[in-house]
Amino acid sequence: MKFGYVSWLPQTELVSKFIEELKNKRLMGTQCKQCAAKYLPPRAHCKCGSHEMEWFEAPKTGKILTYTLVTFGPESMAKYAPYIIAVAELDDGSRLLAHITGVTPKTLKVDMRVQVVSHHVTEDRIVYKFRPTE
Amino acid sequence: MTQKIGVIGIGHAKFGKRKDATIRELAHEAVKPALEDAGITTTDIDAAVIGVAGDEFAAQGSSGALIHDYIGMKNKPMFRVEAACATGSAGIRAAWSLIKAGLAETVLVVGAETMTQVGSPKATELMAKAGDTRWEYPFGITFPGFYALMATAHMHEYGTTREQLSMVSVKNHKYGVLNPYAHLQREVSLEEAVKSLTICHPLNLYDCCLISDGAAAVILANEEKAKKLCDTPVWITGLGSASDTMMISERQTLTSLTATRLAAEKAYRMARVSPDDIDVAVVHDCFTIAEIMAYEDLGFCKKGEGGKFIEEGQSYIGGERPVNMDGGLKAKGHPLGATGVSMTVEITRQLRGEANKRQVSGAEIGLSHNVGETGQYCFVHIYAR
Repeated sequence: MKFGYVSWLPQTELVSKFIEELKNKRLMGTQCKQCAAKYLPPRAHCKCGSHEMEWFEAPKTGKILTYTLVTFGPESMAKYAPYIIAVAELDDGSRLLAHITGVTPKTLKVDMRVQVVSHHVTEDRIVYKFRPTE
Repeated sequence: MTQKIGVIGIGHAKFGKRKDATIRELAHEAVKPALEDAGITTTDIDAAVIGVAGDEFAAQGSSGALIHDYIGMKNKPMFRVEAACATGSAGIRAAWSLIKAGLAETVLVVGAETMTQVGSPKATELMAKAGDTRWEYPFGITFPGFYALMATAHMHEYGTTREQLSMVSVKNHKYGVLNPYAHLQREVSLEEAVKSLTICHPLNLYDCCLISDGAAAVILANEEKAKKLCDTPVWITGLGSASDTMMISERQTLTSLTATRLAAEKAYRMARVSPDDIDVAVVHDCFTIAEIMAYEDLGFCKKGEGGKFIEEGQSYIGGERPVNMDGGLKAKGHPLGATGVSMTVEITRQLRGEANKRQVSGAEIGLSHNVGETGQYCFVHIYAR
């Protein structure tokens, strides 16, 4: 299983673990044991230089900070266009960029409450995405 | 004694869809007039810094070495710099540092890029790959997409309007007509700009800079050489640079570029000037929202009032702070590696009083502002006559 609509980077242990959890509908980030900085999506190393990281489960609800409707995407995404990309702030303050579905550009608003759900793009590809709560 | 460092030669290739030339010929087209302008030859140059942002556009690796050889720099020292869309300004900063360090007295900076041969969908793809390829690129986010996210946030937070975005485009097209090196030389009406094809809502075709081929060249020298070789050196009096997170979702704000604010603070402090002292500026208008944020982040107006600033005409000649008299990235074009060097060329022309119909009369202090990617890099340079 790979992450993303398109990607080619080698799968590290960190990403494999993240994907396994996402398949089970858990959104996992990493937190530094030294300075307590939290990362979602996860990182293997902290920006403070530490590599002592532990997993935490992030909340799956939040609100939309901003969005765009991508009409002309990169060549590799042509078959998915148009799509709406949003940045949401989750209830613990962490921020995530993903597609949002279940809305139209007309009904989508900044501050709209959303939930993060797992989405199988194809049999071997998975992403997280936003949907309006309710 | 602290020596000043100044611009003693400038050259600019015609930006556009240049089917007649590859990156080497474009570089030559910029370097030749720069040498003539300085009244010197390559034998008088100590070293070169060459800025090319990507290898994949031109399908040529090590373009720095290719250009260096083609322009006849023989065995002189050279390295290439890369800072995405701010590559050219990184080159100016590197050349300034070489001279300051005493490793060279005269340095040639060449910025070049050929982007049109791959076509727009592929070019969009290549630029998108300059984002975070693990967590953001996999969603199909593009450069217009990133700036559209900032535009939506800015419009929501400050009430910036669709018309105000388009007004930036109208202004830059108006001045692009007066720049013989600009890619697009055609005015657009506000109505045409507002109603153009949506690329990434809320940004439309006329909010986005062009994909262009082009090159620009600048020769820098220390004070002693500059005074000897040149009657009208333009001094670089302040340099500021800063950076930011790779992922846009990690940014603390989506309505401002922190790297711009920090770089500008440093440049103003070093040059001992304030935003009010700037007579003419070129700013990084890769998208119209970027120019509006630049007004605010560079201190030309208060935060949130960038839309009002353009609506009142403050960034036109005759306004409070004339911006992008060369047509900006919007009309002049944005061949990535060339852009920052082209900005230094324009400010030098303005401060020499050689900008013809787009001249800001009596300009003495200028500023260039060049952003790499979505604020991962920022360079601000301040210039004085």
